[in-house]
Amino acid sequence: MEAKVLDSWVLAEFATPEALVSATQQMREKGFQGMDTYSPYPLHGGSEALGLPPSRMPFIALGGGLTGMVTALTMQTWMNTIDYPLNVGGRPLLSLPAWVPITFELSVLFAAFGIFFGLLGLSKLPQPYHPAFESEEFRSASTHGYWLSIPHPTGTDAADVKNQLTALGATHVTVVSGENE
Amino acid sequence: MAETAHALPLDPLEPRDLVAPHHDDKSLNETLLDHVWRKPGKGWFMLLGMTSAALGLLVIGVTYTLARGIGVWGNNQPVGWAFDIINFVWWVGIGHAGTLISAILLLFQQKWRTSINRFAEAMTLFAVMCAGLFPLLHTGRPWFAFWLFPYPSTLGAWAQFRSPLVWDVFAISTYLTVSALFWFVGLIPDLAALRDSSKTKLQRTIYGLFALGWRGSGRHWHNYKVGYLLLAGLSTPLVVSVHTIVSFDFAVSQIPGWHATIFPPYFVAGAVFSGFAMVITLIVPARKYLGLRDVITDRHLENMNKVILATGLLVSYGYLMEHFIAWYSMNQYEFWTFYVNRATGPYAGVYWLMITCNVVTPNIFWFKKARTSIPIMWVASIAVNIGMWCERFIIIVTSLSQDFLPSSWDIYTPTWVDWCIYIGTLGLFGTLFLLFLKFVPAVAVSEVKELQLELKHAAHAAHGNGHHGSDAAATHGAH
Repeated sequence: MEAKVLDSWVLAEFATPEALVSATQQMREKGFQGMDTYSPYPLHGGSEALGLPPSRMPFIALGGGLTGMVTALTMQTWMNTIDYPLNVGGRPLLSLPAWVPITFELSVLFAAFGIFFGLLGLSKLPQPYHPAFESEEFRSASTHGYWLSIPHPTGTDAADVKNQLTALGATHVTVVSGENE
Repeated sequence: MAETAHALPLDPLEPRDLVAPHHDDKSLNETLLDHVWRKPGKGWFMLLGMTSAALGLLVIGVTYTLARGIGVWGNNQPVGWAFDIINFVWWVGIGHAGTLISAILLLFQQKWRTSINRFAEAMTLFAVMCAGLFPLLHTGRPWFAFWLFPYPSTLGAWAQFRSPLVWDVFAISTYLTVSALFWFVGLIPDLAALRDSSKTKLQRTIYGLFALGWRGSGRHWHNYKVGYLLLAGLSTPLVVSVHTIVSFDFAVSQIPGWHATIFPPYFVAGAVFSGFAMVITLIVPARKYLGLRDVITDRHLENMNKVILATGLLVSYGYLMEHFIAWYSMNQYEFWTFYVNRATGPYAGVYWLMITCNVVTPNIFWFKKARTSIPIMWVASIAVNIGMWCERFIIIVTSLSQDFLPSSWDIYTPTWVDWCIYIGTLGLFGTLFLLFLKFVPAVAVSEVKELQLELKHAAHAAHGNGHHGSDAAATHGAH
């Protein structure tokens, strides 16, 4: 199938994390939407500059933990109290205190799975191909570069965006476009 | 050390100079990733040869055990739990320092953890793998190990959830899984850094595969930061619960020397004690070999020695309490176990070695000279590891070999197969560790870079008065 351009981005590199954060802030104030920053470690004030709402991770973790707790309690009660009742030294069939360790462990396990898969899901990972990787310079984003991306520039707009970014102190500006089949 | 630069008030939450100040992101990258790209030296291959040889012993020991049954071990009646459970508890304990360093210190915002957490987490993973082998083999027929899990069997029987042994299965498998997730989540940004600084297409593909396409997006970091912190928050009670549950294996029984309420906290303290000692044992040579002195500073080692001292005192308190309760309860069996059998019985040598290593040795860390001396701390850390192994030996073997009825007493001696498997797991641990040092950054690169930036901001804020450029100071003030 013929390759077609899916989307395009303006990528701009900044010299310091502070410059990137302040440029992001200013570009957002100008009304640019859907921007993203790229840096080797979380930027301080980066989420605020992008105007992101609070992360949903805590709710996902809580959901996972509660699922684990309910699963463990139901499992133990059903298995050892109802389906296969075992009288061990006259102890009650519904031995809730004895259920505590496994309930705790499964709550933690499910919460951890929730966090891990929630993180991957929210970040849309794994994603081995991303158009940004078309730019070889962009690879510094994971080691020592601070990048800003602005989506969907077209024609003369792209040049305008590039100029605005340069004015904000970008050291390197480029346009990438993603191709897919 | 680098504390000379400015007289910061000693607020423990304030970042202090933990990374040699001459580094920027690029040079940190080069320093910390260097050992992955560099061809391993002769020393690495020699060590790998040694650990692989030890790993060979594991293969021999396990194969022989599987072929002949666990009768080839020294276990007998009444000592049904011996080397396998000793080593299981010992290895799990060693694993605990990793999670503690990563999780608890992260929650307490102890910035100095950053340089050692990756290392310690890897240690956790490998130690728990070694630990898991022992109960698995101890079942005698490890190919039926799945019987321990609740699965819908044709027999219609379910696992017995009132048994600490089943709790163990859940605790250890949860611990291994959560540690692996925590470790991997922490690794993702560094795998991306490796992908992007790789020199060949093959390296780029392999690291790219594991990096999952991570590109440091601000939107990803936004969730990542919260997720990582939450995983740390979960791991903290997990550590405490795992060793507590391991101690229940003993504490819920009636055997003199096991039947004690002090066991859960005392086991947890012992685990941290031996775990930190193992970190010192490994990190001292590794930081020299990998050239990581700039990020794993003497200050880190000193801090860890302080933890060893503190947990050593906790463990000593545990011994004291056990002996006190044995006397105070006026229970003749307890009294026999603690005051006669352990101190003067057939295993008195192991007992006194344990006291020397665990009670006497850590006290040298009261002295700053000992805390900061590399040879002293290295020898002391090895002593602590030996001492904690002796402790598990004493708890398990002395209590079982002489309990209530003298007619059922017997002496336990390990066989060559026991030693093969024990030394073999040391080989497995060492081999995995060397491979880890070769293929993955031993220090969490992205976290060290972040720390470096925070330290710069802190320094600017401390010097204050805006003569360093208001930009950085303002950003620091904003959060």
